[in-house]
Amino acid sequence: MNIPFDIIFQIFVVMCAIAAITVRDLLSAVMVLGAYSFFMCLMWAQLGAVDVAFTEASVSAGIGTILLIAAVLKTTRRSKD
Amino acid sequence: MDFIIAKYNYWIYIILMMIGFYAMIAKSNLIKKIIGMNIFQTAIILFFVSMAYKKGGATLPILTNADMHGEHAIQVAQYLNPLPHVLMLTAIVVSIATLGVALAIAIMMYRKYHTLEEDEILKAIK
Amino acid sequence: MKTLGLIVSIIVGAFLMYGTIDMPDWGDPNSPASIHVSPRYIKKTEVETATPNMVTSVLADYRGYDTLGETTVIFTAGMACILLLRRRKEAGKARR
Repeated sequence: MNIPFDIIFQIFVVMCAIAAITVRDLLSAVMVLGAYSFFMCLMWAQLGAVDVAFTEASVSAGIGTILLIAAVLKTTRRSKD
Repeated sequence: MDFIIAKYNYWIYIILMMIGFYAMIAKSNLIKKIIGMNIFQTAIILFFVSMAYKKGGATLPILTNADMHGEHAIQVAQYLNPLPHVLMLTAIVVSIATLGVALAIAIMMYRKYHTLEEDEILKAIK
Repeated sequence: MKTLGLIVSIIVGAFLMYGTIDMPDWGDPNSPASIHVSPRYIKKTEVETATPNMVTSVLADYRGYDTLGETTVIFTAGMACILLLRRRKEAGKARR
Protein backbone atom coordinates (compact mmCIF):
# COMPACT_ATOMS: atom_id res chain seq x y z
CA MET A 1 0.00 0.00 0.00
CA ASN A 2 1.79 3.09 -1.23
CA ILE A 3 -0.25 6.27 -0.99
CA PRO A 4 1.24 9.14 -3.03
CA PHE A 5 1.99 12.39 -1.31
CA ASP A 6 -0.39 14.53 -3.33
CA ILE A 7 -3.47 12.62 -2.16
CA ILE A 8 -2.46 13.15 1.49
CA PHE A 9 -1.98 16.87 0.87
CA GLN A 10 -5.30 17.17 -0.93
CA ILE A 11 -7.20 15.44 1.90
CA PHE A 12 -5.49 17.68 4.48
CA VAL A 13 -6.27 20.82 2.48
CA VAL A 14 -9.97 19.97 2.12
CA MET A 15 -10.20 19.11 5.83
CA CYS A 16 -8.55 22.41 6.82
CA ALA A 17 -10.90 24.36 4.52
CA ILE A 18 -14.01 22.72 6.02
CA ALA A 19 -12.70 23.28 9.56
CA ALA A 20 -11.89 26.95 8.87
CA ILE A 21 -15.47 27.80 7.93
CA THR A 22 -17.21 25.69 10.60
CA VAL A 23 -15.27 26.69 13.75
CA ARG A 24 -17.24 29.24 15.79
CA ASP A 25 -14.30 30.98 17.45
CA LEU A 26 -12.86 33.45 14.94
CA LEU A 27 -9.27 33.27 16.23
CA SER A 28 -9.32 29.47 15.84
CA ALA A 29 -10.70 29.85 12.33
CA VAL A 30 -7.83 32.21 11.45
CA MET A 31 -5.24 29.78 12.83
CA VAL A 32 -6.78 26.91 10.83
CA LEU A 33 -6.61 29.14 7.76
CA GLY A 34 -2.89 29.60 8.39
CA ALA A 35 -2.49 25.82 8.47
CA TYR A 36 -4.48 25.65 5.21
CA SER A 37 -2.10 28.13 3.58
CA PHE A 38 0.90 26.13 4.75
CA PHE A 39 -0.47 22.86 3.35
CA MET A 40 -1.23 24.66 0.09
CA CYS A 41 2.40 25.84 0.03
CA LEU A 42 3.62 22.25 0.48
CA MET A 43 1.31 21.15 -2.33
CA TRP A 44 2.78 23.73 -4.71
CA ALA A 45 6.32 22.69 -3.83
CA GLN A 46 5.24 19.15 -4.65
CA LEU A 47 3.80 20.31 -8.00
CA GLY A 48 7.17 21.85 -8.91
CA ALA A 49 6.25 25.52 -8.51
CA VAL A 50 8.97 26.49 -6.02
CA ASP A 51 8.75 30.26 -6.60
CA VAL A 52 5.00 30.21 -6.00
CA ALA A 53 5.56 28.11 -2.87
CA PHE A 54 8.08 30.64 -1.50
CA THR A 55 5.68 33.50 -2.17
CA GLU A 56 2.75 31.67 -0.59
CA ALA A 57 4.73 30.74 2.53
CA SER A 58 5.94 34.29 3.09
CA VAL A 59 3.03 36.38 1.85
CA SER A 60 -0.15 34.40 2.38
CA ALA A 61 0.75 32.20 5.37
CA GLY A 62 2.74 35.02 7.00
CA ILE A 63 1.34 38.45 6.23
CA GLY A 64 -2.21 37.24 5.58
CA THR A 65 -2.45 35.46 8.94
CA ILE A 66 -0.99 38.50 10.71
CA LEU A 67 -3.54 40.81 9.04
CA LEU A 68 -6.43 38.51 9.98
CA ILE A 69 -5.24 38.18 13.61
CA ALA A 70 -4.92 41.97 13.86
CA ALA A 71 -8.45 42.40 12.50
CA VAL A 72 -9.86 39.83 14.95
CA LEU A 73 -8.09 41.52 17.87
CA LYS A 74 -9.45 44.90 16.79
CA THR A 75 -13.03 43.60 16.55
CA THR A 76 -14.43 40.55 18.36
CA ARG A 77 -13.74 36.83 18.62
CA ARG A 78 -17.33 35.67 18.79
CA SER A 79 -19.42 34.65 15.82
CA LYS A 80 -22.86 33.12 15.57
CA ASP A 81 -22.03 30.59 12.85
CA MET B 1 -11.30 4.13 -14.03
CA ASP B 2 -8.78 5.78 -16.34
CA PHE B 3 -11.15 8.72 -16.58
CA ILE B 4 -11.29 9.11 -12.78
CA ILE B 5 -7.50 8.91 -12.43
CA ALA B 6 -7.03 11.50 -15.16
CA LYS B 7 -9.51 14.01 -13.73
CA TYR B 8 -9.81 13.61 -9.94
CA ASN B 9 -7.37 16.48 -9.24
CA TYR B 10 -9.72 18.89 -11.01
CA TRP B 11 -12.61 17.64 -8.90
CA ILE B 12 -10.72 18.33 -5.67
CA TYR B 13 -10.04 21.90 -6.83
CA ILE B 14 -13.74 22.30 -7.62
CA ILE B 15 -14.68 20.99 -4.14
CA LEU B 16 -12.35 23.58 -2.56
CA MET B 17 -13.95 26.29 -4.69
CA MET B 18 -17.44 25.15 -3.61
CA ILE B 19 -16.43 25.37 0.08
CA GLY B 20 -15.28 28.96 -0.39
CA PHE B 21 -18.37 29.87 -2.42
CA TYR B 22 -20.70 28.42 0.23
CA ALA B 23 -18.90 30.38 2.96
CA MET B 24 -19.23 33.60 0.95
CA ILE B 25 -22.97 33.12 0.42
CA ALA B 26 -24.32 31.46 3.56
CA LYS B 27 -22.17 32.60 6.49
CA SER B 28 -23.38 35.78 8.14
CA ASN B 29 -20.16 36.77 9.90
CA LEU B 30 -18.02 39.18 7.89
CA ILE B 31 -14.66 37.60 8.87
CA LYS B 32 -16.03 34.19 7.84
CA LYS B 33 -16.98 35.66 4.47
CA ILE B 34 -13.44 36.99 4.04
CA ILE B 35 -11.99 33.57 4.95
CA GLY B 36 -14.26 32.03 2.31
CA MET B 37 -12.99 34.54 -0.26
CA ASN B 38 -9.41 33.55 0.58
CA ILE B 39 -10.22 29.85 0.10
CA PHE B 40 -11.92 30.61 -3.24
CA GLN B 41 -8.88 32.56 -4.50
CA THR B 42 -6.46 29.84 -3.44
CA ALA B 43 -8.51 27.18 -5.23
CA ILE B 44 -8.42 29.14 -8.50
CA ILE B 45 -4.66 29.73 -8.15
CA LEU B 46 -4.17 26.02 -7.45
CA PHE B 47 -6.07 25.16 -10.64
CA PHE B 48 -3.84 27.46 -12.70
CA VAL B 49 -0.59 26.14 -11.19
CA SER B 50 -1.67 22.55 -11.80
CA MET B 51 -2.02 23.32 -15.52
CA ALA B 52 1.74 23.92 -15.62
CA TYR B 53 2.48 20.38 -14.40
CA LYS B 54 3.85 17.82 -16.86
CA LYS B 55 3.91 14.14 -16.03
CA GLY B 56 6.85 12.00 -17.05
CA GLY B 57 10.10 13.33 -15.62
CA ALA B 58 9.78 17.10 -16.09
CA THR B 59 11.91 19.07 -13.62
CA LEU B 60 11.69 22.57 -12.14
CA PRO B 61 11.90 25.50 -14.60
CA ILE B 62 15.50 26.28 -13.61
CA LEU B 63 18.39 25.66 -16.01
CA THR B 64 21.27 23.56 -14.73
CA ASN B 65 24.92 24.40 -15.20
CA ALA B 66 25.35 22.06 -18.18
CA ASP B 67 22.41 23.66 -19.97
CA MET B 68 23.80 27.14 -19.44
CA HIS B 69 27.03 26.31 -21.27
CA GLY B 70 25.23 24.83 -24.23
CA GLU B 71 26.48 21.29 -23.88
CA HIS B 72 23.22 19.87 -25.20
CA ALA B 73 20.05 21.31 -26.66
CA ILE B 74 17.22 22.26 -24.31
CA GLN B 75 14.25 19.90 -24.56
CA VAL B 76 10.91 21.61 -23.95
CA ALA B 77 9.30 18.51 -22.39
CA GLN B 78 12.12 18.37 -19.84
CA TYR B 79 11.01 21.52 -17.98
CA LEU B 80 7.72 22.55 -16.40
CA ASN B 81 5.72 25.35 -17.98
CA PRO B 82 6.96 28.61 -16.34
CA LEU B 83 4.17 30.87 -17.58
CA PRO B 84 1.32 29.96 -15.14
CA HIS B 85 3.78 30.22 -12.24
CA VAL B 86 4.55 33.83 -13.18
CA LEU B 87 0.90 34.79 -13.57
CA MET B 88 -0.06 33.21 -10.24
CA LEU B 89 2.88 34.89 -8.48
CA THR B 90 1.16 38.16 -9.37
CA ALA B 91 -2.27 36.83 -8.35
CA ILE B 92 -1.12 35.84 -4.82
CA VAL B 93 0.12 39.37 -4.11
CA VAL B 94 -3.10 40.88 -5.48
CA SER B 95 -5.12 38.50 -3.26
CA ILE B 96 -3.27 39.82 -0.19
CA ALA B 97 -4.13 43.38 -1.29
CA THR B 98 -7.84 42.56 -1.56
CA LEU B 99 -7.68 40.81 1.84
CA GLY B 100 -6.25 43.94 3.43
CA VAL B 101 -8.89 46.25 1.96
CA ALA B 102 -11.71 43.84 2.93
CA LEU B 103 -10.45 43.64 6.52
CA ALA B 104 -10.20 47.43 6.69
CA ILE B 105 -13.84 47.74 5.60
CA ALA B 106 -14.87 45.09 8.19
CA ILE B 107 -13.07 47.02 10.97
CA MET B 108 -14.85 50.22 9.84
CA MET B 109 -18.24 48.50 10.06
CA TYR B 110 -17.43 47.15 13.53
CA ARG B 111 -16.51 50.65 14.71
CA LYS B 112 -19.80 52.04 13.48
CA TYR B 113 -22.28 49.23 14.35
CA HIS B 114 -20.38 47.29 17.12
CA THR B 115 -21.16 43.92 15.54
CA LEU B 116 -19.83 41.73 12.74
CA GLU B 117 -23.04 39.81 12.00
CA GLU B 118 -24.69 40.68 8.74
CA ASP B 119 -28.32 40.43 9.92
CA GLU B 120 -27.71 42.70 12.94
CA ILE B 121 -26.05 45.28 10.68
CA LEU B 122 -29.06 45.16 8.34
CA LYS B 123 -31.37 45.61 11.33
CA ALA B 124 -29.37 48.61 12.55
CA ILE B 125 -29.44 50.26 9.14
CA LYS B 126 -33.25 50.15 8.86
CA MET C 1 -30.39 31.32 3.32
CA LYS C 2 -28.16 28.40 4.28
CA THR C 3 -29.99 25.78 2.20
CA LEU C 4 -30.24 28.23 -0.71
CA GLY C 5 -26.48 28.85 -0.57
CA LEU C 6 -25.79 25.12 -0.41
CA ILE C 7 -28.04 24.46 -3.42
CA VAL C 8 -26.46 27.26 -5.48
CA SER C 9 -22.89 26.17 -4.70
CA ILE C 10 -23.67 22.52 -5.50
CA ILE C 11 -25.25 23.50 -8.84
CA VAL C 12 -22.21 25.62 -9.77
CA GLY C 13 -19.88 22.79 -8.76
CA ALA C 14 -21.87 20.27 -10.83
CA PHE C 15 -21.62 22.50 -13.91
CA LEU C 16 -17.86 22.91 -13.42
CA MET C 17 -17.42 19.14 -12.99
CA TYR C 18 -19.37 18.66 -16.22
CA GLY C 19 -16.90 21.08 -17.82
CA THR C 20 -13.88 19.01 -16.78
CA ILE C 21 -14.93 16.23 -19.20
CA ASP C 22 -13.52 18.29 -22.08
CA MET C 23 -10.37 19.37 -20.23
CA PRO C 24 -7.05 17.73 -21.14
CA ASP C 25 -5.86 15.04 -18.74
CA TRP C 26 -4.13 16.22 -15.56
CA GLY C 27 -0.39 16.55 -16.17
CA ASP C 28 -0.58 15.96 -19.93
CA PRO C 29 2.68 17.22 -21.54
CA ASN C 30 0.86 17.95 -24.82
CA SER C 31 -1.96 20.03 -23.36
CA PRO C 32 -2.68 23.35 -25.16
CA ALA C 33 -1.28 25.38 -22.26
CA SER C 34 2.11 23.70 -22.62
CA ILE C 35 2.62 23.80 -26.39
CA HIS C 36 1.55 27.30 -27.35
CA VAL C 37 3.62 30.15 -25.85
CA SER C 38 5.88 28.66 -23.21
CA PRO C 39 8.28 26.67 -25.51
CA ARG C 40 9.69 29.95 -26.77
CA TYR C 41 10.36 31.15 -23.22
CA ILE C 42 11.98 27.83 -22.29
CA LYS C 43 14.23 27.77 -25.36
CA LYS C 44 15.24 31.43 -25.59
CA THR C 45 15.57 32.40 -21.94
CA GLU C 46 19.26 31.52 -21.75
CA VAL C 47 20.20 33.28 -25.00
CA GLU C 48 18.16 36.41 -24.41
CA THR C 49 18.35 37.06 -20.67
CA ALA C 50 21.25 34.89 -19.34
CA THR C 51 19.17 33.97 -16.26
CA PRO C 52 18.99 30.32 -15.19
CA ASN C 53 15.61 30.69 -13.45
CA MET C 54 12.90 30.91 -16.12
CA VAL C 55 10.23 32.18 -13.73
CA THR C 56 12.39 35.15 -12.73
CA SER C 57 13.33 35.99 -16.31
CA VAL C 58 9.70 35.95 -17.47
CA LEU C 59 8.53 37.90 -14.40
CA ALA C 60 11.11 40.68 -14.51
CA ASP C 61 12.22 40.74 -18.13
CA TYR C 62 9.63 39.58 -20.64
CA ARG C 63 6.63 40.73 -18.64
CA GLY C 64 8.13 43.58 -16.64
CA TYR C 65 5.19 45.90 -17.28
CA ASP C 66 2.93 43.36 -15.59
CA THR C 67 5.02 43.59 -12.41
CA LEU C 68 4.98 47.39 -12.66
CA GLY C 69 1.17 47.34 -12.76
CA GLU C 70 1.14 45.01 -9.76
CA THR C 71 3.13 47.60 -7.81
CA THR C 72 0.41 50.13 -8.64
CA VAL C 73 -2.23 47.73 -7.28
CA ILE C 74 -0.34 47.30 -3.99
CA PHE C 75 0.09 51.07 -3.64
CA THR C 76 -3.63 51.64 -4.23
CA ALA C 77 -4.57 48.99 -1.65
CA GLY C 78 -2.21 50.50 0.92
CA MET C 79 -3.61 53.98 0.37
CA ALA C 80 -7.19 52.64 0.68
CA CYS C 81 -6.33 50.91 3.99
CA ILE C 82 -4.73 54.08 5.38
CA LEU C 83 -7.70 56.24 4.32
CA LEU C 84 -10.24 53.78 5.79
CA LEU C 85 -8.53 53.13 9.13
CA ARG C 86 -7.38 56.70 9.86
CA ARG C 87 -8.78 58.02 13.14
CA ARG C 88 -10.55 61.26 12.41
CA LYS C 89 -10.26 63.33 15.59
CA GLU C 90 -11.43 66.93 15.36
CA ALA C 91 -12.70 66.98 11.81
CA GLY C 92 -14.67 63.75 12.29
CA LYS C 93 -16.41 65.03 15.43
CA ALA C 94 -17.35 68.26 13.72
CA ARG C 95 -18.75 66.38 10.73
CA ARG C 96 -20.77 63.97 12.85
